[in-house]
Amino acid sequence: MAVNNNEPGPRPEQGGADQRMVVIDCISRRFSIDGGKTVVTALDDVSNYIDRGEVVVIIGPSGSGKSTLLRTLNGLESIDEGNIVIDGVDLADKKTNMNTLRADVGMVFQHFNLFENKTCLENIVLPQVVVLKKNREKAERVARDLLERVGIPDRENNYPRQLSGGQQQRVAIARALAMKPKMMLFDEATSALDPETVNGVLSLMKELAYDGMTMAVVTHEMGFAREVADRVIFMDGGRVIEEGSPGRFFDAPESDRAKKFLEQIL
Amino acid sequence: MEWFAQKWQVVESLAPFLLHGLWMTFQVSMIAIILGSLLGAILGVMKTLDSRALRLCIDAYMHFFRGTPYLVQLYLIYFVLPSLGIAWLQFDSYTAAIVSLTLYTASYVTAIVASAIDAVPRGQEEAARACGMTKAQRLYHIIVPQALRLTVPPMASVYVIVIKSTAVLSVIGLSELTRQGETSILRMPQDTMFIYALIAGLYFLYCYPVLRFARWAERRVGSSAAAQENA
Repeated sequence: MAVNNNEPGPRPEQGGADQRMVVIDCISRRFSIDGGKTVVTALDDVSNYIDRGEVVVIIGPSGSGKSTLLRTLNGLESIDEGNIVIDGVDLADKKTNMNTLRADVGMVFQHFNLFENKTCLENIVLPQVVVLKKNREKAERVARDLLERVGIPDRENNYPRQLSGGQQQRVAIARALAMKPKMMLFDEATSALDPETVNGVLSLMKELAYDGMTMAVVTHEMGFAREVADRVIFMDGGRVIEEGSPGRFFDAPESDRAKKFLEQIL
Repeated sequence: MEWFAQKWQVVESLAPFLLHGLWMTFQVSMIAIILGSLLGAILGVMKTLDSRALRLCIDAYMHFFRGTPYLVQLYLIYFVLPSLGIAWLQFDSYTAAIVSLTLYTASYVTAIVASAIDAVPRGQEEAARACGMTKAQRLYHIIVPQALRLTVPPMASVYVIVIKSTAVLSVIGLSELTRQGETSILRMPQDTMFIYALIAGLYFLYCYPVLRFARWAERRVGSSAAAQENA
């Protein structure tokens, strides 16, 4: 197993500014539903951070805003108030090119979202060629190496629909890694998988974490959170209710809401 | 026997005349289908962009051309527009036929393309966005190729409707199939029924292969990935 570049356990709170990969500053996000009659606050004045090489696991009941928070980090979700800075790039700045930013932030979705009209290899090659302007041969070499690394070297000419969910998710991870991202976002990456394929994908994510990848992970896999997370963030009602090292959070949660949540799922 | 001989004589004497009409029908409908599909594809993609103003304009165009009879549109373009006195709107019957039929075709194609794009799962667009692709790249590489597959069956029925709509062009004196038939009937009024049957047969000869082709294309694009499933 690869070496973890970072000290284990939670990072010191007073980490210097250049140690921060992500700084989230008082962000809010509201949706209006049924034609603007009702306003739902998905994120309510959230502030947080992610350090370089840190693995942050975000948990909480459904509708707590955890996926929305994750999706603001690559601008898939816009914010109404506050600001996010990723590796020195200000997301609220009008001059920021969101597409360039997104190329630096890999994302893995619950439903894989592989390009249905492209083969597995092409799924990994296309963004490199189109976005990074890499030449085709180089991009294919990278893609083949990554397919090998995620454990499905023999499916490169298959279309996504011909693969199992677990295999599709591995290709999706490879597609994100091919962009050489500064950090990775995982939005319930194992929630749509058959039970027997969950572990394979989780151990791939674990490997990435131990390789020093900066990761923000929304998941219901508490075993993964406990084992891999440097820090756990518990959300409810669009707010961060509690955060801390997984050991402290799982063994001695402070808030009543977190206690109730953990009782129900563990 | 004598009946057949007489009818055959009618066919023989009318054939060049009717085939010329069929050729005109073919020509006008093909040009309208090609131009209309291009225009419709462009408008259909534009309709799915984020601009509200653009969407409203395209909607207005679509509703007008889909919500009024083609005959009325043709009258407007051939008889009313020239009276505005603008030089380039003085269409001859051939141009008027092509312009009106193209706009009519495009109004349907726009609707088909726009709804096919909407039918591509949201996740496809999101994944492309998350990879850093621009809007144009997402459309070109991911969304439009997937949407095109969905357009094949409805597109074929629009094409057949367009082909049959060319019969209306007889009212502005274009020598297409129906017009040629009507002229023939003036010459041989005793064979009215038979000549109409001939015309109907010729339309069918043109439309049926289009429908067959559409079914073939539908099966091909629909199962191109499935075919490799056994590989």
